Amino acid sequence: MSKQKERIVFSGIIAAIFIAAIISVCIGKYEISLGEIRQILQGDPDVSEMSRQVLFTLRVPRTVMGILAGAGLGLAGCVYQIIFKNPLASPDIIGIAGGANLGAALAIVSVSSAGMFGIALGSFAGGFLAVFCVMLLVKATGLRSTATYVLAGIVINAVSKAVIMGLKYFADPENELAAMEYWEMGTLGNTTASKVMSVLPMFLIGLAGLILLHRQIEMMALGDNECRALGMRLGIVRTVILLLSTLLVAAVICITGLISFVGLIAPHISRLILKRNNFHTMILSGLIGAIVVLCADVLARSLYSAELPISILTTVIGVPMLVYFLCQRGRGRSV
Amino acid sequence: MKAKFEVRDICVKYGERRILDHVGLEIFEGEFCGLLGLNGSGKTTLLHAICGFIPMQGGCFVNGTDCGKLTERKRAREVALIPQTCSLEGGRTALEVVLMGYNAWLHILESPSREHREKALDIMDKLGCRGLADKDFGQLSLGQRQMVILARCMVQDTPVMLMDEPDSALDFLNKHIVLQKIRNVIQNEGKMGLITMHDPNFAMKYCDRLFLLKDGAILTQIDMRKDPECKIKRDLSTVYGRIELLKNGKEYLMVRGEDA
Repeated sequence: MSKQKERIVFSGIIAAIFIAAIISVCIGKYEISLGEIRQILQGDPDVSEMSRQVLFTLRVPRTVMGILAGAGLGLAGCVYQIIFKNPLASPDIIGIAGGANLGAALAIVSVSSAGMFGIALGSFAGGFLAVFCVMLLVKATGLRSTATYVLAGIVINAVSKAVIMGLKYFADPENELAAMEYWEMGTLGNTTASKVMSVLPMFLIGLAGLILLHRQIEMMALGDNECRALGMRLGIVRTVILLLSTLLVAAVICITGLISFVGLIAPHISRLILKRNNFHTMILSGLIGAIVVLCADVLARSLYSAELPISILTTVIGVPMLVYFLCQRGRGRSV
Repeated sequence: MKAKFEVRDICVKYGERRILDHVGLEIFEGEFCGLLGLNGSGKTTLLHAICGFIPMQGGCFVNGTDCGKLTERKRAREVALIPQTCSLEGGRTALEVVLMGYNAWLHILESPSREHREKALDIMDKLGCRGLADKDFGQLSLGQRQMVILARCMVQDTPVMLMDEPDSALDFLNKHIVLQKIRNVIQNEGKMGLITMHDPNFAMKYCDRLFLLKDGAILTQIDMRKDPECKIKRDLSTVYGRIELLKNGKEYLMVRGEDA
């Protein structure tokens, strides 16, 4: 794709995110018009306090979190697919999702008064602990190949799932089991400004680190020995990249719960559009993730009287997008 | 004093099995040397040991510097490797692949500059593959890919170039083209090249010296510039069994004994 076409694609997707963000701020059980938003931003005293409160305490944090969640999962998914050389890689591959799920489940079961903040803390710690265990496992085997990381991730995911099943079996079906299931399906409904602010530094560290290390990430599409022959300190670089992407993903899912499919499909859509697999693909993958999550969240709170779990809608939106771009490629049309 | 690459007494074991047994060799500036041997003789293992991919005893020295004591980054400034095939599937332009050769010379967070790009394009021009710069690496033919990897190796700008059967996936014509380019680069730029090959005929045509490896040890070496036909035949037969050498001008062609 030419540079001019690339610029058009990026401009278009940024405009789409902007429009989706405005819709996301306006739509909900309590609707806010564009005029009211303009008045609030201009400091007009005639706007109702309710609208002001809904805008600043609910809608803006939720919309910002939607963008961060999609961007984080899309970017991290692309990074995983490049460094594991596996088109099926997503944040689950090295056990982050499984660990975060287990952490959240443990917080729900063991600390009855944990509340949403306790669950967020539990899932963040669980995600990090899972990646730490994967690294320990890789070190214990003495085989530091990419495949060993994937296998260790499968092991940690399996262990997490087994423990979660045990917790679910003994959980109180009315409250604890329902809370666990709901967390697994993901929602932006629990987002508050203070939660966004508390995870923002970690998110930004992860994001900035991955962007700064983009050349190393791109090189990791080569085989391990080829990377070493080109002078890369593969062990250290891979560990740093995994920790940064874990920071990014854990910062998101500790607030939103598990959001399925975004980390898997956003990179594919990005590659199908750009027909490349480089830094631009990573960035576009993050932007596509953001638009998918924003649209899914708007639908989640407007399709039904009660709010739907976001994972249902990310899948409903993501699958047709992926199929469309696959068909475009299959027919040999330029996208 | 001429630059020298020296492999000294390298031993590699996989468990109890000895793969390389006290291997030693020397290569001088501008020399293109071949490493010949049957499957499983230890050719690739030797290159991997030199590059530091596998643990080994012994050492390898570039102009007296012990590569075993260098970090990956510093080692990659002394020794470059051209693999059998590049593991990259595609999604990058040929120029982006060539620019990866600068990695050892750049800070971890630094990107190649405009000057780096221009120099990389000049090198691609020298190798006759500048026209591929903006093409997707995955869509290139195997011969074109090897040419791009050779350009990456030149960008890496190391005194020693190791090549692990870079011609194995190429057709007859592309083998000649790629090997001639490699030979020209080594001679014109004063580098020291070591290539593993399966076909002794190509090795005899393009290499200055041949090291013959059998069961993890170097049996003998042949200097194609001055050794007589009888020595070349005798040495090659220690690895390949009953063979005959046919002479065509200054070049030799090896055939199996019963076919001669």
